[in-house]
Amino acid sequence: MTRLVEVPVQFDDRSFDQFAGGFAQAMSDGERVLFDAHAAEWASPYGLVGLLAAGDAAGRGRAERPLLTVPTNADVARYWSRIGFFHEAAGLFEIHGRYPKSRPQPESDVLLPVTPVRAAEDVHEVVSRIQQQASAILASEVGLDPKATMGFAMALSEACQNIVEHAGTGGWVAVQSYHWRRRLARRVVVIAVADAGVGFRHSLEPGEAKRFGDRWGDAAALEAALIQGVSRFRDPGRGQGLKGIRNYLARWEGKISIRSGTARISIVPPWDDDVALKDGLPLFPGSQVSILIPEQSSGKP
Amino acid sequence: MIQHIDVHAVLRASVSGVYTDLVTRPTGRAVRERIERDIGDGRAAVAVMDFTGVGCLDYSCADEIVANLLRERVRVLLLRGVTEAHRDAIEAVLAGHGLAVVIERSDGTLEALGPSHTAEGLFQELVARRLAARTPGGTFALTVS
Repeated sequence: MTRLVEVPVQFDDRSFDQFAGGFAQAMSDGERVLFDAHAAEWASPYGLVGLLAAGDAAGRGRAERPLLTVPTNADVARYWSRIGFFHEAAGLFEIHGRYPKSRPQPESDVLLPVTPVRAAEDVHEVVSRIQQQASAILASEVGLDPKATMGFAMALSEACQNIVEHAGTGGWVAVQSYHWRRRLARRVVVIAVADAGVGFRHSLEPGEAKRFGDRWGDAAALEAALIQGVSRFRDPGRGQGLKGIRNYLARWEGKISIRSGTARISIVPPWDDDVALKDGLPLFPGSQVSILIPEQSSGKP
Repeated sequence: MIQHIDVHAVLRASVSGVYTDLVTRPTGRAVRERIERDIGDGRAAVAVMDFTGVGCLDYSCADEIVANLLRERVRVLLLRGVTEAHRDAIEAVLAGHGLAVVIERSDGTLEALGPSHTAEGLFQELVARRLAARTPGGTFALTVS
């Protein structure tokens, strides 16, 4: 028997928990999973890399790959193809439906197509590509000072390294700039990173669980990593990557959210009404990171 | 004796020659280990580290290279060819360790980066070794290249 997981019509960080709820339920009995994206009308980079992570987890250790139905809206399927989603999905899912088979085409709004991250070399490649592709767009469309492009590459590097150093498996990254009409009515540039690895709680547990006692869990692990700069490595100087991202985002009133296991933590800028820490969410494997920088107008978003 | 380190050249020799970015821990570790081999046994009194040609420097590499060299192998580290973005990453890791370095600006004057109590001692040491002197403008500059 096949278990159905519906991909939300508007698939982004807000609807991700609904998707994760369906995923957790479908995964509970070991049956084959069908990810139904036929009704999808829009997906953010966060939604797409999250869907790949779900496919990775659903196929792990199983004889059959999970199924995926392609969005019926041809424009949506074309966009998913253009950002490189299907190129990566082909190795994870048994795909049903028609979609353009061309390789991902870098276009002005896709600063970095969906790209696998498995090793340090991949991070080098990602950083190199983003600098070639993004600086003009970040300056002209998002209004970032050209000098800030390097900081953007640095934030991207640190976010990707979390996969290499902590996930215990590979993951994906995508960067896109788009007009965020529904929430901010501004252009934004978004970095989305996702994996289906061990997650923050498991990574930090040996060194931190005792310190937190009964409070230990996914939320405490995220708090330790993002707020306290804790790393699973004992050497001094570790754990500075996320702190560095926070400092960079503070300068540009950007937002970072990290979801891992059953919790999500965010550094919430003044323009957003998100909650800082949310626990008790549907269980989803690994870690999913969203970094968002809004268009700068008159110096402030 | 001053140890001169061309970071870009070390990067190209340490990892695949095509990259100009100092990113990721493994890259930082490879670069640092190569620098340590060049320094040899013991601890260098003063080292000049030139970042010209280096693209992105992330926190992991800044920590792995600058902070670890200062903690273990170099007493005074003078940085050259540092961009604003390099400086952001280096400043953050120095603050985390309570360490300081000297930066040579493009006009040749020197500036300390790091906690002030640690930074002040660096100028005193460079002057005591006759490697730096106060300029007529009241700042410091190297007396040797």
